[in-house]
Amino acid sequence: MKKVLTGNQAIARGFYEAGGLVAASYPGSPTVEILETLKKYDGIYAEFSTNEKVALEVAIGASLYGARAMASMKHVGVNIASDPLMTFTQTAINGGFVLVSGDDPGMASSQNEQDNRIIGKFANMGIFYPGSSQEAKDYVKYALDLSERFQTPMMIDITSRVCHSRGVVKLEDREEHKPQGFKRDQEKYCMLPPYTFKAQHFMRERIEKLREYAYNAPFNILEEVEGSDTLIVTSGLMYYNLKELNLPVSIYKLGMVYPISIRRMRELSERYRRIIVIEEMMPFIENELKLMGVDCKGKEYFSFTGEIHTEDIEEALCRMGVVNNRKYEKAKAVEVVSRPPMFCAGCPHRPVFDILKKLNVTVIGDIGCYSMAVLPAFKAAHVSLSMGATLGVTKGMNKAMRLNGDKKPVVSVIGDGTFFHSGLPGFVNLLHQIDEEDNMTFIILDNRTTAMTGGQQNASSGRYNENDDMRVHIKALLNSIGIDNVKEVDQFNYKETREAIRQATREKGISVIITTRPCALKYRIREPHFYVDTDLCISCRTCVKLNCPPIRMKKYEGIDELKSYIDPDDCVGCSVCSQTCPVGAIKRSE
Amino acid sequence: MVRNIVLAGVGGQGLVLATRIISEAAFRAGYDVKTNDVIGLSQRGGRVWGSVRYGNNIYSPNIPPGQGDMLLGLEPLEAYRWTHLMKEGAYVIINEKVVYPTPVLLEEEEYPYEEIDSLRDKFNVIRINARDEAKMAGNIKAANAVMLGLMARYLEIDTDIWEEVLRENVPSKDVEANITAFYRGYNK
Repeated sequence: MKKVLTGNQAIARGFYEAGGLVAASYPGSPTVEILETLKKYDGIYAEFSTNEKVALEVAIGASLYGARAMASMKHVGVNIASDPLMTFTQTAINGGFVLVSGDDPGMASSQNEQDNRIIGKFANMGIFYPGSSQEAKDYVKYALDLSERFQTPMMIDITSRVCHSRGVVKLEDREEHKPQGFKRDQEKYCMLPPYTFKAQHFMRERIEKLREYAYNAPFNILEEVEGSDTLIVTSGLMYYNLKELNLPVSIYKLGMVYPISIRRMRELSERYRRIIVIEEMMPFIENELKLMGVDCKGKEYFSFTGEIHTEDIEEALCRMGVVNNRKYEKAKAVEVVSRPPMFCAGCPHRPVFDILKKLNVTVIGDIGCYSMAVLPAFKAAHVSLSMGATLGVTKGMNKAMRLNGDKKPVVSVIGDGTFFHSGLPGFVNLLHQIDEEDNMTFIILDNRTTAMTGGQQNASSGRYNENDDMRVHIKALLNSIGIDNVKEVDQFNYKETREAIRQATREKGISVIITTRPCALKYRIREPHFYVDTDLCISCRTCVKLNCPPIRMKKYEGIDELKSYIDPDDCVGCSVCSQTCPVGAIKRSE
Repeated sequence: MVRNIVLAGVGGQGLVLATRIISEAAFRAGYDVKTNDVIGLSQRGGRVWGSVRYGNNIYSPNIPPGQGDMLLGLEPLEAYRWTHLMKEGAYVIINEKVVYPTPVLLEEEEYPYEEIDSLRDKFNVIRINARDEAKMAGNIKAANAVMLGLMARYLEIDTDIWEEVLRENVPSKDVEANITAFYRGYNK
């Protein structure tokens, strides 16, 4: 039977067919859908953990017991998980273990573009690099088999394009893999010296055995064209983009990009006059070949950043003299007004950032929907780095300011998902060396979901949504560790929220404000819409500056001046615009 | 034979579902199929776009520049934005319902009404108020089914396949409205 699946769905299917038992993840684009799909399969335990490190550890525990296990995360999530990863990888793998890393060339939805093949090699793992949904499924099964056979953790490194792309996949039945159980063996599983000494040699031998296996492995495919003096070495989607050109050149497609068979590459380099490597982001395969002493060309001709499309490949091959006539000219993008993402109608973040913008304070942001406060309409966050970074960064900036005699406040913003992900240690750390001159305000946007990635549950969402099973009370938690100045406010009460934030920024010490309105999108919140009374509207545009999708200036018949207008189909009735209107021109419809 | 379909719209308009429905229909009609959709940060009211390619053997999900046969524009500006991917004379189907982007809402830039009108000089432009048609079909949310119906007229996939795929991919309470909406587009 065949089915159309996304790359993410195909990975989940591969894990299911391979008899996978335990899977864990933390939601992050482009890999969110893997775990969401796994949750629907019977016989698999699947969880979104509080962060990627915990997710990896959950998968490790299952693998140690002999179960086939998988952890999936976006590329930057692997940074969080890299501490357990770098040590676990020294152990001899029991149950097949695969780490899926979703890389994002071109940064469609990420804060950086790191190439995690580097991390895979650093961690002594074999790395598969799928280019289609069918490969995504097949490679998970290969990876789990090889993981057990070579006692090595394996990585599936997949790009966002392949995660979200759909393709036809052949489905197979699930094979059962009953775990053999955990066999106590301290030398194998307790990574302390002197056991770690041996582990270094074990890892090296393991990779060399895998390298030998790669020589004839079924997933590394050589397509030779009679008479071609050029060999293109490529992998993943680049293979398919290249195939679009239908060129008379030989291709060596690597299903597994690490380790690469030295024996095979040296044989090929004797047969071909010219070897070209096509890969996105870093020159990973290229460097591997060069380390083997295989002469090749690659990044000299291809971009080190962004995606590489068929027309880019053709253009580079033309410069190299491989292609004479080009089929595709790179089309010039249409120059037209941009459409940056914006907070949804009724988004509970809107009033908070409107207030912060008007207070003109320095705001240290974090990762979530509220990262969009950085964008033009508000420009109300001034630092945005990585998950949970706002706590430490705020404290450090505050300490430097005090030592420099700078008395201004610092405001930190973090969402509930990020609070539990990696914000909590930062909160505990605030308690250390509190100075009376400190002035830090922490706003926790508790919208009861991990919204940006599609509304997953998190550790406090059960307090709002009874279908969720975790009910941690953030205020009680902070109080219990000794952070006393914690206020909960309803941010749809604009004035009260403004006063609370203003007062907090004037108070010395640590102030915490928790905003309590839930995500309007996730919970489909809809109240009677608001409308503009054009007789009262003074065209001041205060409401338009809230940058709410249904609010704009409009030419009304019989009125010269533009007046504000609210599209009743899209307004969800949060009332924030009516509260900010200086003349009371915005009214509730019912 | 390869058919290249580009989809463009605004985050939240249901572009991912539309992509899924087209790919599923093409697959059931016996074709190889690959799709793209770019989601993530762009989903909150930002620009979103996707592609469906079907035919006997499809390598890449990406449509090379100038190779698009059909553009399904769920919003006029977003349709205009992706026209550089289209062949001259391609079908450009546009839902008339305008969604202003932030720079237009803030009155910093103009909405490109004229440029959108002039698309008809180069392409086969079909414009429809899909939201009104959907309202008449009984569900304002079935606008994309109207668009799919309009597009289906120009594709080699039977209507009973479209019907079957719609039935399986929209919420059960909305099935009838979506099928009525599909035919409102198809018979336009």
